[in-house]
Amino acid sequence: MGARDRDWGPGAGRAAMEPDCKRRKMEEPADPPWEALLVLPELESQEIELTPAYAAPVLLRTETSRLVRELSAARPLTELPHLKRVRAQGGTQPLEVLLCPAGPLPGASRTLAELLPDGRVDVRGLGEPFLVQVPARAPLTRPQFEEAARHWPTAFHENKRTSQALAGRLFTPQDKAAMGAHMEHAVRAARRGAELGMVPAGAAVVDPATGQVLAVGHDCRNGLHPLLHAAMVCIDLVACGQGGGAYSYLDYPACSFLPPLPGDGLPYICTGYDLYLTREPCVMCAMALVHSRIQRVFYGVSSPHGTLGTGYRLHGRQDLNHRYEVFRGILEGPCRRLGQEPAAR
Amino acid sequence: MEVAAERWMDRALRMAKEALENGEVPVGCLMVYNNEILGKGRNEVNETKNATRHAEMVAIDQVLDWCHQHDKDPAEVFAHTVLYVTVEPCIMCAAALRLMKIPLVVYGCQNERFGGCGSVLNISSANLTDTGEPFQCIAGYRAEEAVDMLKTFYRQENPNAPKSKVRKKECHK
Repeated sequence: MGARDRDWGPGAGRAAMEPDCKRRKMEEPADPPWEALLVLPELESQEIELTPAYAAPVLLRTETSRLVRELSAARPLTELPHLKRVRAQGGTQPLEVLLCPAGPLPGASRTLAELLPDGRVDVRGLGEPFLVQVPARAPLTRPQFEEAARHWPTAFHENKRTSQALAGRLFTPQDKAAMGAHMEHAVRAARRGAELGMVPAGAAVVDPATGQVLAVGHDCRNGLHPLLHAAMVCIDLVACGQGGGAYSYLDYPACSFLPPLPGDGLPYICTGYDLYLTREPCVMCAMALVHSRIQRVFYGVSSPHGTLGTGYRLHGRQDLNHRYEVFRGILEGPCRRLGQEPAAR
Repeated sequence: MEVAAERWMDRALRMAKEALENGEVPVGCLMVYNNEILGKGRNEVNETKNATRHAEMVAIDQVLDWCHQHDKDPAEVFAHTVLYVTVEPCIMCAAALRLMKIPLVVYGCQNERFGGCGSVLNISSANLTDTGEPFQCIAGYRAEEAVDMLKTFYRQENPNAPKSKVRKKECHK
């Protein structure tokens, strides 16, 4: 049931596949370089929502700090803590100060007396209030921040990792070479599965702490079991490596696993592992990866029924008990061709 | 129908109890075709070290085995199979049930954490390409008993899960 040999890893595995690789390389033109693109979770990928609020010009600049102090005490922006109180329009325009949220059904014109009735704010120096659309929640990414700041000055606690990933600076060339090599395992498995009449999709599980490939598999839905999509196969292969597992892959030699070394500590399902998938998974597989506590998913190409970016973005939901990072575009060319090569049947 | 449903759900609850006694999440289910149980399942996650081995997935395997043994077309059998399960299927299982084209699911209590039939997402009725067919749900059969078992399970810790780092720190104090 697959390679149990400790030497079996990214390097050793390649030697066994050499003839296949050489033949294909001669047939195909060189692929353009690929990029690992971060697939943002739902909240991070959405456009900034706006909500109406009342603001007023500060006609007497010398009153600004007193007005801000009194407003902050009397009308704290509890629901909009990310917004700055004052906006400078630049040039000869006066400063503008945020008074309060306008609620769901704002009146067309409100006076200062109506908006600040309790006398806790001395309105000296304030001009006529007006409605302004402000960002409803704090921006999570730099693009969201830039969009939000066009409406009203907004605080931004930048997530460095997200910004680096969005700018394509998260991975070093060495990281990318390793990622490409891991995806090659998945691509080769997909091809070998296709030769057996399977859907041409492949997967590989890697422990990023050691760089070891723990499982490689291909889609088995046309053979072993209708629900054994490539990701489900790999989840079960990891379980086989931990002394469990629900299925036997004897008829599918390209589906193999590596048992963890004794002394690695007791592994628990896919906790901390990376999964490489030739194509974006369906909702069953994406949720199976939530249950399996996968750490990161790298896929080659999007699919119409995909749920890590295309339809749902199941990997970053606050209402589920586990979240994982997702990157797409890894070895995009070879992964895309898998769907286009005629299946060997 | 009502009487039969009660009877099937009673069996499913007994399987959930068995799961609880084996340290698994207490979910039990039956797959019924022509008034005959073709598949039974309870959670086998800890046993198989595979987090996808939910009761529904185990039962689907048994129905497939039955089809194989009796030389029946699985597509025809699943199209006329009703699933009785103590807890709302999770997002993964709801997708799996769609892919198998099971038309009807009768379940007990809601699954607030992972539910795929409305609680978290509505996979059962969503318009999804290339993900089988939507299915009907009838909820609320023996819901209190199913909830009580889940509460009992979540009160005790999962002995198979690794100690969380946060908790370790607390222990040192």
